[in-house]
Amino acid sequence: MIQDKSLDPRTKLIIVISISSLSVFIQDLRYLIIILAIAILVSKILGSEIFTVLKKLRRMLGVFIAMIIVQSLFIKGGNPLIMIGKFTLLTDIGIFRASEFLLRISIILVSATILMTSTSREILQGLVEWKIPYEIAFMVSVAIRFLPLLGEELQDTLTAIQLRGIDMDKLSIKEKIKLYSHIFTPVVAGAIVKSQRLSIAMECRGFRAYNKRTSYIKLKMNTKDYLISTASIITSIFIAYIYLT
Amino acid sequence: MIPAIEIDNLYFKYNGQKDYILKGINLSVKQGEILAIVGLSGNGKSTLCYTLNGIIPNTFKGDFHGSVKILGNNVKDTDRAELATIVGVVFQDPDTQLFSPTVEDEIAFGPENLCVSREEIGQRIEEVLKLIDMERYRYENPNNLSGGEKQLIALGAVLSLEPDILVFDEAMAQIDEKGKGKIKNVIKKLKEDGKTIVMIEHDFNNLDIVDRIVLLKDGKIQEFKGEL
Repeated sequence: MIQDKSLDPRTKLIIVISISSLSVFIQDLRYLIIILAIAILVSKILGSEIFTVLKKLRRMLGVFIAMIIVQSLFIKGGNPLIMIGKFTLLTDIGIFRASEFLLRISIILVSATILMTSTSREILQGLVEWKIPYEIAFMVSVAIRFLPLLGEELQDTLTAIQLRGIDMDKLSIKEKIKLYSHIFTPVVAGAIVKSQRLSIAMECRGFRAYNKRTSYIKLKMNTKDYLISTASIITSIFIAYIYLT
Repeated sequence: MIPAIEIDNLYFKYNGQKDYILKGINLSVKQGEILAIVGLSGNGKSTLCYTLNGIIPNTFKGDFHGSVKILGNNVKDTDRAELATIVGVVFQDPDTQLFSPTVEDEIAFGPENLCVSREEIGQRIEEVLKLIDMERYRYENPNNLSGGEKQLIALGAVLSLEPDILVFDEAMAQIDEKGKGKIKNVIKKLKEDGKTIVMIEHDFNNLDIVDRIVLLKDGKIQEFKGEL
């Protein structure tokens, strides 16, 4: 197994971009299944905790299923499978497109776990060395860092409400929507206060004091990085070529 | 010797507010002194703290009169990079001061912004970690540390800028007794190194290490007589 730390974050970015681009470009279920298998294999080889990450995403499963159902309902081409009167509810192409969507999302998620084998600072430095402005790359990494905190805050507010004797399970949908509208106000206000404090702390430590900055982290692409990066790009072009011909 | 901090007849109110929150502050802090500013919530302690490092009036706009001089430099006319190396601030909530994936990255963030060389940053990281006694956590994610440890890292991140003056804005409010003890020990070491320290506090138990206490009440600095 390749030790994840031995690979430059830019190599990992190239692998992820190659796999993700293929998944967006290709519209054939068989190819997408092969790409997903490659993504899982590469992720495992690079030591990413793919299944732990996917387990954490199981709460999103409902959203994915809803998107698949909506997608299959709104695509009207192909042979109807379920009809209500003259109204076609589900077609074979609808199911095909929904499966395509599911595979595509899975490929992107699985390949993204490769990036988690590096720290966000390493990935950020990789992007900076590709001439992406530090501020933009930093904003993305801070957003990733603080997004789970927003979720925790939402959960804390929900718990506080439940401790006051409100049973969420017994509420009607209308009441639930009303309750969530009350919850979001303090959560959003809290997030704004936190982001303001964060920006003050950053300014106190000289953030954007000058147009450029130095970096303690030093990235170095070695022969293995160049070989893997080249192999990723060539393999992607090869798969795309076979698909097109 | 010029004072570390010299505030002269300072008035400030935030944009959109009716009343001034600071109403004629006069304060002088000697170099190497530990000063505590105590006061009830809402009396402008944090606002005063922001004026010491130029956040007010440079970032938070409002009606600002008077002058704040830090080691002879008027904060209004001093650029951010220079101020960051003169005054370091440790805030109350460690979670909104830490944003890097490792302790090492967190400490390197400030010097990187100020274009310090890589070799120098490495040296500073080692010195700071030794001072705060957190060497073993160098590659840890700050999120996985206790409240006291996180606050020590926030302090370390500020110390890596090598400021002459340190401001603790209720920095011990969210941590346990053990954590408070650790931070107080570091503050004592910093005083021995000749640093000037301002502690904004409301907990009298944290004042056993200070040289002088003043009270901020009704927007003015007053003599502290043991009560808020």
